[in-house]
Amino acid sequence: MIKVGVGFSEEKDQIAAAKEAVRHARMGIAGEKISLAMVFSTIDFAHTSLLKTLSVYMEGVPLIGCSGAAVISKKGIYKHGLIVMLFSLPAEVYFNVASVKDIKAKTPQAAGEELGEKLLYGFQNVRRDVGIILSDGLMEESSNLVYGLQDKLGKSFPIVGGCASDNLAFKKTYVYSNEEMMSDAACGIVLGGKLNFGIGVKHGWKPLGKPRRITRSTGNVVYEIDGVAAANIYEEYLASDAQQLRKELKRISILYPLGVYLPGEEEYLLRNLVSIQEDGSLVLLGNVPQDSLTRLMIGTKESCLEATKQAIEEVNRGLFGRKINFVLVFDSISRYILLGRQAEKELNIIRESLNPDAEIIGVYTYGEQAPLMAINYQGRTYSHNQTVTVLGVAG
Amino acid sequence: MEQLINLLGIASVITIFILSIVIILKMGKINELKALVESLKRSLDEMDEQAKLIVRTDMELNKTQEELDKKVTGLYALQRLSRTISTTLEEGQIFRMVEPIYLEELGFEKTCAFLWNNKEQRFALQLNIGYVEDELKSIKSFADSNKETFLDLIRNEKTISSISIPKDTLLREQFTGVFKVTDFVVSPILPKEGNKGFLFVGTQNTDITLTEGDEELITIFSNQIGQALENARLFEKTWLSQQELEKKVEERTHALQFALNEVKTISRRKTDFISAVSHELRTPLTSIKGYASILLAGKLGDLPDDVRSRLDKINRHSDELTHLVNDLLDISRIESGKVTMKMGPADLRKILEGVSDLLSVQLKERQIDFSSDLPEDASMVYADTSQISRVFINLISNAMKFTPPDGKISIRSFKLGNDAQVDVTDTGCGIPEEAQEAIFEEFYRVDNAVNQQVKGTGLGLSLVKHIIEAHKGKIWVRSRPNQGSTFSFTLPLLK
Repeated sequence: MIKVGVGFSEEKDQIAAAKEAVRHARMGIAGEKISLAMVFSTIDFAHTSLLKTLSVYMEGVPLIGCSGAAVISKKGIYKHGLIVMLFSLPAEVYFNVASVKDIKAKTPQAAGEELGEKLLYGFQNVRRDVGIILSDGLMEESSNLVYGLQDKLGKSFPIVGGCASDNLAFKKTYVYSNEEMMSDAACGIVLGGKLNFGIGVKHGWKPLGKPRRITRSTGNVVYEIDGVAAANIYEEYLASDAQQLRKELKRISILYPLGVYLPGEEEYLLRNLVSIQEDGSLVLLGNVPQDSLTRLMIGTKESCLEATKQAIEEVNRGLFGRKINFVLVFDSISRYILLGRQAEKELNIIRESLNPDAEIIGVYTYGEQAPLMAINYQGRTYSHNQTVTVLGVAG
Repeated sequence: MEQLINLLGIASVITIFILSIVIILKMGKINELKALVESLKRSLDEMDEQAKLIVRTDMELNKTQEELDKKVTGLYALQRLSRTISTTLEEGQIFRMVEPIYLEELGFEKTCAFLWNNKEQRFALQLNIGYVEDELKSIKSFADSNKETFLDLIRNEKTISSISIPKDTLLREQFTGVFKVTDFVVSPILPKEGNKGFLFVGTQNTDITLTEGDEELITIFSNQIGQALENARLFEKTWLSQQELEKKVEERTHALQFALNEVKTISRRKTDFISAVSHELRTPLTSIKGYASILLAGKLGDLPDDVRSRLDKINRHSDELTHLVNDLLDISRIESGKVTMKMGPADLRKILEGVSDLLSVQLKERQIDFSSDLPEDASMVYADTSQISRVFINLISNAMKFTPPDGKISIRSFKLGNDAQVDVTDTGCGIPEEAQEAIFEEFYRVDNAVNQQVKGTGLGLSLVKHIIEAHKGKIWVRSRPNQGSTFSFTLPLLK
């Protein structure tokens, strides 16, 4: 039986916060041996002294984590805070923790391969169950990092994860690996042996208007849609020129992302706008295959919250009715912005769908990774935007 | 053969005809389908147009919602902030209460506040969130070198912001450059008294569009600070003047204490003097009275009548003098604390019985109706029995003295909290109001007909007062001339 304990602190001083959070988390596992720690903190806590203190207080157990615009615990959503989850894993559950640095220099694909290889270490004769990855949230080609990982871990190996975020300044995000705090990096964990889990990923955005075809694209850049400059789609729908669009890019990107039609999937794959280039091409957060059908997407608070319900149902389907012990939530920052003052409602939905003693830990992200469920995709993991991605673990 | 060819020809003609008809029919179908596709395409385009309208409306709605959310969050933050600073009564603490979290909820990440120091003719920094030392230095020098701009804001009670200052003006550029922000609000801090100043808030976040609502919120915020400063200053002023008052009271108390000690010393000396003089008087008085008695008894031979009558006078005056000296001695003893009251349970009814026995002959002689009503619950007191009987004797004798024949003297007691109050009421000539306090002083005698005839020492009531006070009781008189007097005193009830 996996035991987890969650601790939280709002102390302004990083060292005091680390102490308090670890102390509370230890209470949750009631003196069991700590095997692993997961840490999410808002950007104001991102400091090496935090990780040093955590390491000292947890006797150097393996740690992964990242920074976020806000962190999620069972008790609430915090714009300033540190959250620590301690795991006490039984002998039959195996895990391996690894990280990779200098992704830009190495290219995301190569970095993904390197991380995959490191994660595989020690897993020769053991069943691998699921991977969790955390990556720098300002990396545009996070899809390629996933491709690299899949080249080593297997195309259908389920991976969930999130891209670290900052306080919406989009300046610097961090991933935490043991005592190191890194940008331009990723870290991950592979769990194996005997682990029951379910994954849910949903966003709730609905397609709007005429279907269009992506006629020219490479990687995460779309040049042409229906044979004309890609930016046209936004100019047309919002009745404004590229310059005006650029001014409101963040809002537009969150409210009206592009949706890529995935045959067989319930929902479209969402892609946020990163920028509108001078030539009218759109740079997206995540790759888009050429020739796929695309539509402008629209979401409401209701559809957004409905998606959260569905994501949890999906998790439960994956667990075949087993009781959830804890959930890990990677929640897109877009949802936080869209929901505004109703953000806590999303947490309520998650909380109410779980057993009262199940733990919740989560972070707001600039992108999520999760497998697609339809048969066509063979459980292959994709990079998502705007979703709530939930990993539920039972027993 | 030819027939066959003809037949084939006919057949082919028929076939061609049939095919033509089929083709014509198909063409119709195709055209129909084409029309259908066209109409579908048209409705799709129409729907797309609708979608565009939906997106634009949704965008507007979202913007409004965002604005509303921001305002609600801002108002909420402002409310909490106001509560915090309005309960702060120390000027220096007020600015420290402004925490980054409130600022963030108001939609800004940088702030600083200055108060104008009139003496030094410069702005003094009070608050800083989001600036490092070097940035603050340039902000300070900017504030001082543009002091007229800021002092104008204070004078005109005007808020300015990146909405009201047009782009591309020097002032706007200076603000955004020096304060390192894209949008900002500057609002004056205006306490009614003392140093005024200004509050600056700003943000670098280009996603935020500053609105007039923000400007209003910040104006309210700076007003709140002004109000809080005013309160704090008022409080300090009040506190200081109270301190001063307390100091004065203390000084005055000290002076009074000193004077009181002086008075006490003098009074003690007086008592000592009286006591000494009385003692010295008693010895010769005893001899005078002794010799007079011997002479009167005729032990030294018969005396002529006129000598005897003179001797009688000497004897009577010596008696009066002895009485006076004894009263004086008693008073001085009680005053100096040399006589301690022999406190114990005392029954007022018994005491009064003894006293009325003693005075019954005189009461009868003067035809005065004497009555008493001492109920059981106001009878048992904690007192010195012999001293209290002196009190009764004095008060009743006094009453008799001033009550004409056929008058009335009544004594009544009742319970008053933990005390028993005793009223001695007569139907005598009464005491003028101006004399009512003085009668308890030593040697004071009311100037009236009775006193001119009846002799008295002027020490009786003074002695009574001393005794009652030695019992921690109070004594007072209520009287109206020609309507009688009521002397009242209190004694502690036996618990």
